[in-house]
Amino acid sequence: MAAIGVHFGYTCACVAIFKDGRADVVANDAGDRVTPAVVAYRDTEQIVGIAAKQGRVRNAANTVVKVKQVLGRSFDDPETQAHRTETKCQVVNREQKPYYEITAGENPRYVAPEDVAKLIFHKMKETAQSALGSDVNEAVITVPFEFAHTQKRALRDAAEAAGFHVLRLIHEPAAALLAYNIGQDSSSGKSHVLVYKLGGTSLSVTALQVNGGMFRVLSTHTDHSIGGESFTQALAQHLASEFKRYTFRHDVSGNARAMLKLMNGADMAKHSLSTLGSANCFVDSLHDGIDFECNVSRARFELLCSALFNKSIQPIRTLLEKAGLSTSSINKVVLCGGSARIPRLQQMIRDMFPDVELLSSAPTDEVIAVGAALQAGLLVGRDSLVPEEESITVDVSATDILVKELDDSGAEVFTVVLPSGTPLPARRHHIMSGAGKLSSLCLEIYQRLSRNNTTYTIVLRDLQPREENHNIDTVVTMKRDGSVHVSCVEQSTGRSEVITIAAAS
Amino acid sequence: MLLEALDGDETVVFTAAAGSVQVQVEPVGRWFEAYVKRRNRNVSASFQELEEEEESSEESEDEEFQLEECSMLRTLDPKDWKNQDHYAVLGLPHLRYKATQKQIKAAHKAIVLKHHPDKRKAAGEQIVEGDNDYFTCITKAIEILSDPVKRRAFDSVDPTFDNAVPSKGEGKENFFEVFASVFERNARWSSKKHVPKLGTMESSFEEVDNFYSFWYNFDSWREFSYLDEEEKEKAECRDERRWIEKQNRASRAQRKKEEMNRIRTLVDTAYSCDPRIKKFKEEEKARKESEKKAKAEAKKREQEEKERARQAELEAARLAKEKEEEEAKQVAQQAKKEKEIQKKAIKKERQKLRTTCKNWNYFADNEADSVKMMEEVEKLCDRLELTSLQSLNEVLASGSKEDGKAAVENQVQEVNAQLQREREAEVQARQAARSAEQASGGGGAGGKGWNEEDLQLLIKAVNLFPAGTNARWEVIANYMNLHSNSGMKRTAKDVINKAKNLQRLDPLQKDEINKKAFEKFKKEHTSVAPSIDNAVPSERFDASGSDGNAAPWTTEEQKLLEQALKTYPVSTPERWEKIAAAVPGRSKKDCMKRYKELVEMVKAKKAAQEQVAAKSKK
Repeated sequence: MAAIGVHFGYTCACVAIFKDGRADVVANDAGDRVTPAVVAYRDTEQIVGIAAKQGRVRNAANTVVKVKQVLGRSFDDPETQAHRTETKCQVVNREQKPYYEITAGENPRYVAPEDVAKLIFHKMKETAQSALGSDVNEAVITVPFEFAHTQKRALRDAAEAAGFHVLRLIHEPAAALLAYNIGQDSSSGKSHVLVYKLGGTSLSVTALQVNGGMFRVLSTHTDHSIGGESFTQALAQHLASEFKRYTFRHDVSGNARAMLKLMNGADMAKHSLSTLGSANCFVDSLHDGIDFECNVSRARFELLCSALFNKSIQPIRTLLEKAGLSTSSINKVVLCGGSARIPRLQQMIRDMFPDVELLSSAPTDEVIAVGAALQAGLLVGRDSLVPEEESITVDVSATDILVKELDDSGAEVFTVVLPSGTPLPARRHHIMSGAGKLSSLCLEIYQRLSRNNTTYTIVLRDLQPREENHNIDTVVTMKRDGSVHVSCVEQSTGRSEVITIAAAS
Repeated sequence: MLLEALDGDETVVFTAAAGSVQVQVEPVGRWFEAYVKRRNRNVSASFQELEEEEESSEESEDEEFQLEECSMLRTLDPKDWKNQDHYAVLGLPHLRYKATQKQIKAAHKAIVLKHHPDKRKAAGEQIVEGDNDYFTCITKAIEILSDPVKRRAFDSVDPTFDNAVPSKGEGKENFFEVFASVFERNARWSSKKHVPKLGTMESSFEEVDNFYSFWYNFDSWREFSYLDEEEKEKAECRDERRWIEKQNRASRAQRKKEEMNRIRTLVDTAYSCDPRIKKFKEEEKARKESEKKAKAEAKKREQEEKERARQAELEAARLAKEKEEEEAKQVAQQAKKEKEIQKKAIKKERQKLRTTCKNWNYFADNEADSVKMMEEVEKLCDRLELTSLQSLNEVLASGSKEDGKAAVENQVQEVNAQLQREREAEVQARQAARSAEQASGGGGAGGKGWNEEDLQLLIKAVNLFPAGTNARWEVIANYMNLHSNSGMKRTAKDVINKAKNLQRLDPLQKDEINKKAFEKFKKEHTSVAPSIDNAVPSERFDASGSDGNAAPWTTEEQKLLEQALKTYPVSTPERWEKIAAAVPGRSKKDCMKRYKELVEMVKAKKAAQEQVAAKSKK
């Protein structure tokens, strides 16, 4: 069964398909694996994608960008107002809902953000279906963690209007984890993962706890003021000053169309600089028929954006503080979003987490779509989908279950047999060993909250003293209400001991 | 390394475990799906346990699985593969169609390991060259059993399957023993799972019904391609292949039909033999019977009830009527009695009065007076009411002769006065009636009778001489006197009075008068034959009786006629034809008649006016 995963971002959209157990990103008809989420309205047609983005130089008033910012919001929402001042396309108020005023053609038209999103979704569907060669509509769509219910609703409606059968909306950080197959191999184990997403216009950092194969968001931070476009902007400003210096007089910063051209040029240069040491930026007939050509080195770019880089790294620390985690307690860092490709940024993150695996093997702007496709692959064909709940809660264990052991030097160590936050019911197997010469062994089991006093002790007596160590097979089972059942079996003799601890109500 | 337990240590619980907490998780990943699935199923075991269980069940299957090697294996002829039992070849004769793919594969593997030509060669056995070795049978067996389609074809013609259908005789005796096994055997062909069981004698109606409806609509996957006589692959050309295909299809269809018939016969037999069906039918019949009976009874009861009600109603009505009659009778009797009593009383009173009067000698001295008084007393007796008689008698009884005389005289006077009054009233009434008659009859105050004809004439005259005519009423009176045949002389005053009277009469009455006049007129003319010599002005009405256009002349026509008369003077030849032509809708005769009328009218008018003029001159 094939299925589709769609990442619908502020600046770009990406679609991946799940087929034959694999999830792959699909290139669109222009050959790009990521489609700009830009819709241009002409008098007779609507263009989605790179053509619309490039045509924006001439048709800025009728080109809708970053539609996700207003999707599902009311007109009075500050976000909508911010979007309104920023965008070149007219936004009008109609029944407390923002509408785009499209002046292409004879009469002005009013287009709802949902319709714009629908066009983009339609494009993504076409892309996926041309790659699959069949009518597959089952899709999983990603949404930012901070999206409110109405925004999710609007996004879902837009996707359904485009012909998708939306299996589920999942959060972007969770999709990123899924793409790297974190916690999917085995249901045991507990780890903390940081998802760093730096997209075109927004930065979001999320700390997740992975326990028993389930993801739990501990803390998240979103900043809409920084993103790939800020870097492009900085580079374009630099290029403009270069142009001014080069031609000695022409200042293009006041010329909107020239600035847009320069932005396009800077964008391309920025992309090249992620892989190359230097990039050539040229714009034909930038101003007064004068061509512009300039070489930018990576070092120059990093210097230009160093303040921005610092700004985009800073939230990590505050987030970790808020979540009560240290950099060392993070087991993995997942990078996603197009701007996370910037080598300097990656280096900075690596410096911050010296011992942590930095997951950036997949193209960062495609990670989320791949995760969505994987989830779609899991869900497709299931007839009983979970009803769309706002929050899905599971019972988890409240505390760590530890056992006291002695290490080789004779010092006391505590081994976690059942970590806190494990989804219940759970069962863990542990093979403990005791010195062979002993005829009786003692398991002292603690809960994290009260390490000082033993919660319960299990004593195994009358063991045959022998050369090898005693292997004690310990099974810890915790039921949904939190009551614990521990059974210990000495493997060679079969001596067993069982204990049940009721949960405090 | 675990700690050593000290002597005093025991297995003991110190505190309770902390309770679980609920947290929100991201709805992604396979473990989440597993969790949700488990939660929906409401299974409390952890997923690890679940998976373990699954694994263990698979393992157990593997353990149970054992091969029963076919003793005949080595003697099999590969050329005769179609008649071989492939399950037996692979060592699965005990499992047959129930064997899983896994088991078949495992069995094949085991048997290949044992019987592969290379192995046997190594063991120093003699190997038949080429395809003739019995190992080919094993290959064929796995080829057929591993392919679901081919395996189904083989299963369909399983040589061990008993196609027999028990006869009715067998089935009747011990139905359940005979048929249970047969149905169970045939259930394997069902393409649907969960074939209903035959059940027992105690099965409910629904169960039995379900069972038979399932078997009557039995959907079998059995097919007979395995028995194809010709092999399609052997054909040399397309046409041959087609022919073979056709042949095969026909034979398969035939066999399938037979199979369906077989199942049908089986179910039919079972149905006819089923003691439960018989039981149900009987029950049904009994139920229906009882229902019918109950219904009939209910109807009967209802009818009876109705009848009774009707009877009761009738009875009640009759009783009521009787009672009414009785009462009426009693009342009548009572009234009669009372009347009688009154009559008697009055008689008595009268008698009393008479006797008293007689006693007093009628308050008279001489004979004549007494006779007169007697008469008076008799009158009193006749006229006076019971009460007044009583009071009079009392007065007479109590008072002296003088008093009595005065009272009687008084009464007599009163009665006489009353009689007088009555008589007067009668006379008056008669007079009033007469006068009223006279008034309604049109009788004038002056005694000059106005008969119908005169009235008619008056109306005509009034119409003829409209208001504004010189000395109108004199002229009218003159006209009346001239034309009336009643011979009465009328003055202008009379005429005015009558006309006013007539005007005052309501139009209905007027109408009536008119009609009456006309009727009378008509009667006269029909009875008195057509003698039109006396030219009365009302002759124009006569037109209605004769031929020609009877309709009265309209003003329009009148005008046209006058015009025509002027245009065609008397000298014109064929004058009347032309005039008639000028007046549409009127014949020559009509025109002439009208002209004559007009002339008459004008003449009469003139004569009347002249007379008045002459009178005024005088």
